[in-house]
Amino acid sequence: MDISKPVKDYLVKPKKSEGSLWFSLVLLLIALTVAAAVGALGIWLTRLFVPDAPNYIGIIFGLFALIICLRYIALRYEWIMPWYYLLPAIIFLLTFTVFPVILTILLAFTDYAGVRNGQLSVSTETPVIAANDTTLTLSNAATLQCDQLLGSRKGCNNVRAVVYASGSFQTQGISLDGVILKVDPAPPADRAIKSVEINLPSVGFAAQFPVVSSTDSEIVLGRAPPADADISNIRLTLDKVPIERKIVSVSGDTVTLDQALPEGLAFETIARYNAFGSVGLDNFRLIFSEASRALWPVFVWNIIFAFSTILINTVIGVFIALLLNNPDLHFRNLYRTLLIVPWALPGIITIQVWRGFLNENFGAINRLLALLDLPTYNWLGSQTFAALAPKSAVLLVNLWLGLPFMMTAVLGALSAIPRELYEAARVDGASAWQGFWGVTAPLLRTALIPITLTGFAFNFNNFNLIFLLTGGGPACPGSTATARCTDILISWAYNEAFQSQGGYAYGLGSAISIIIFIITLAISLVNFRVTGALKEETNT
Amino acid sequence: MSISQKLPFFVLGTALLGTLAQAQGDFVRIPNGWLWFLVIFIVITGGIAVGAYLYGKATRPGKAAQYAITAATHMFIWVVILLTFYPIVYLLAISLNENDSITAALPKTGNILFRSGVLPDPSKFSFIQYQKVLGETHLLNYQWVLLAIFLIAAGVALWTLFAERMGGSIHKLEQYRTYAGWVIFLSLATLVVSINPSQFYFINEAGQQVGSSTERKIILYIRNTLLVSGATGIFAVLISTTAGYAFARMRFQGRYQTLLSFVFIQMFPGFMALVAIFYLMSYLGLLNTYPGLILAYSGGAISFAAWIFKGYLDSISPSLEEAARVDGATRWGAFWRIILPVSIPMLLFIFLLQFIGTYSEFILANILLTGENQWTVGVGLRNFTTGRFNTQWGALAASAVLGSIPILIIFYSFQNALTGQHTAGGVKG
Repeated sequence: MDISKPVKDYLVKPKKSEGSLWFSLVLLLIALTVAAAVGALGIWLTRLFVPDAPNYIGIIFGLFALIICLRYIALRYEWIMPWYYLLPAIIFLLTFTVFPVILTILLAFTDYAGVRNGQLSVSTETPVIAANDTTLTLSNAATLQCDQLLGSRKGCNNVRAVVYASGSFQTQGISLDGVILKVDPAPPADRAIKSVEINLPSVGFAAQFPVVSSTDSEIVLGRAPPADADISNIRLTLDKVPIERKIVSVSGDTVTLDQALPEGLAFETIARYNAFGSVGLDNFRLIFSEASRALWPVFVWNIIFAFSTILINTVIGVFIALLLNNPDLHFRNLYRTLLIVPWALPGIITIQVWRGFLNENFGAINRLLALLDLPTYNWLGSQTFAALAPKSAVLLVNLWLGLPFMMTAVLGALSAIPRELYEAARVDGASAWQGFWGVTAPLLRTALIPITLTGFAFNFNNFNLIFLLTGGGPACPGSTATARCTDILISWAYNEAFQSQGGYAYGLGSAISIIIFIITLAISLVNFRVTGALKEETNT
Repeated sequence: MSISQKLPFFVLGTALLGTLAQAQGDFVRIPNGWLWFLVIFIVITGGIAVGAYLYGKATRPGKAAQYAITAATHMFIWVVILLTFYPIVYLLAISLNENDSITAALPKTGNILFRSGVLPDPSKFSFIQYQKVLGETHLLNYQWVLLAIFLIAAGVALWTLFAERMGGSIHKLEQYRTYAGWVIFLSLATLVVSINPSQFYFINEAGQQVGSSTERKIILYIRNTLLVSGATGIFAVLISTTAGYAFARMRFQGRYQTLLSFVFIQMFPGFMALVAIFYLMSYLGLLNTYPGLILAYSGGAISFAAWIFKGYLDSISPSLEEAARVDGATRWGAFWRIILPVSIPMLLFIFLLQFIGTYSEFILANILLTGENQWTVGVGLRNFTTGRFNTQWGALAASAVLGSIPILIIFYSFQNALTGQHTAGGVKG
């Protein structure tokens, strides 16, 4: 065969009779749905036998179902084969990339936060004084902390809550033999006994005895009661019964529930869930209403940072690469190997080491500057001149980190320029200077565009550098506590979502993530348009 | 010469920065030190350039100017190398110094560089920091054997490189190196899997076994990181190869759309969806487990790896496969027996790229790994500077050095592949 022809000429073009994209996807979706259903069923079945089986057991069941389904589909529709090669990757992308992305988008329209994380809030457990059908009277409704749930919702209204019924159980003892106590009637079989209260006439009051184990009507106590213990009337403390209800309204200390509470139980406490819900566009409204104190300064610095760091790295990288590209320079391979070291060290470690070097009082950088009788700075904390010192520190460290890549990339581009072009230029009477501007510069410019664009996109979201070096600091006067002087968009989003000064506002963080995604997407589209990375694929 | 061109800017910048508030602290200053430095620097650089010029003029008169320029170029590059290496040398020096704190009193006598603290005091040289961070690691006997096997195999691999340079039989040496590579991989993998948190303890005065503090467990953190990075790399390779093959070699309806979605999905960086991944992992019960972290990393790695593999297959001719198909091999058989063996260098490259990327990942590990025995190197080091106690800079430096070694070795062993492919990918198009 003629291997000079492009690869795709040998590949069989899709026939019209083959399944369309949508039909293929529907078939795969059916297989995945069946697998998911079997997985869920698998969890349920396993739980019947092993009560605390983890959720990921379902994945194993699902996989088996999936293989069987796929085998069946392949027998019917043979053209589905290419999709099977893609399926592992597609499943992974769906689960660990697409699903989180969709979830992020959904969360951006909620007030999901540290105090509204959907979990049961133990700290809001409030004693119940009286219970009547659907209304509860609390000792102090303020401890329900309904004000944390304000916002678009009205406090605790429509929030799920758990009412705990006391576990008190009156019974009579039949016999007491050492630590073994027999009672009648027996307590409910499905509830654990926490302690036993037995009257002790010799001391004049009832004492609590811990329980080691119990079977039906026989209870093993942790320590033996004295021989004269009065076992005629015994109070058992069982574990609390949680009853799920929804709070309809709270007025004063009175709470109204959606359904009546069951009869025959004494209700002790109530705790609410940290409910979160949809707030519409509130997160975006908040971002843009505070834009002058957070979004704009952070965005502007983000652009300046990404732009200037690429500019500095490119200028110095091109300069060093041009010096090293001289074939007459001795030791050029040694120099290249030595200069590449910062790339060979894990950035996650070296950035943190730089934190030590830039320390105001003890760091090597300031000691070096002082030795040269130059002024020293609080490199990571100075606020003066719009935090010029921390911003320079970020650029300096990123130069150290990024120079090897830039240098290597430019060297690669330079070595791709054929020597004959220089020869030809020299034969035409061009000087070395003219040769550089006439041959090297234009060819280098074409090669530099994708390199710098990739670098820009990378540095635009260079979270590790900012977070590990300055932590976003120092605080910027006039900005919010989460949008500090060297924070870029992504570290700002992180601060909102995962730091206490941002109030663990996951929803707000997600909203910022979406804004970042849109910007990143725009940069990448420009990148693809300029480099044409996807163009060759459209014609197949 | 280029340094002297930048001088005006340097002076201007310094004057501008000089108006900022100065840091407090008792620094050793040389009055007008920067001026002295400049004068000495210019004299040396100029002297070398002039010397080269005169030498050139004496030997090859036409090339004298070029000699001077070359000499200045060397000088400049050495300055850049010194600046690049200063943090690394300083880090090594702290890790080999008995002072645990960089705030410790500086020596009063001796070289000005040591008195000022620009370089750590060499008279305090010691291995105590390494003893500290390694001393509470208790390897079992068979782990020592594994370590010995690993070191011997590494020595053999190094020897083959050296012998090749000395002019040995390349074919035979390459074979040795392949064997050594397998031994290295297998012994290291066994070692990594077998080390566990209970091996990190010290015996207190009362003779009780007490678990080590987080500052003494760097070996555990390196082990955790190697485990997570290795598994992520293997996972990424396993899942993305079939996808890359389908994109490169099969034509089906919806191929372009799928390819496009792979590329765009990848643009939503994993840690922007951090909240959602955290939620997903806590739902699956995989929080604070390695499988959870590995799955999260792999999800982010797949589209990139598939894209690279597709590009690689596009560049090799399908004639081999076609021949196999004609001989009756199935599609899968051709993939398994022909394509995979041919692509091993590429798969190794994808693995290494993913390995190094995962090794340097911080944020997902920080959020998903909550137990201190599960931490990775980056999270463990972060705890040095944000922990409750005074930063132990010496121990931090020693841990940083130890944590960097695996990646340093991998990077320089596969330097050409790792740096070359980057450029090829970047320039493509």
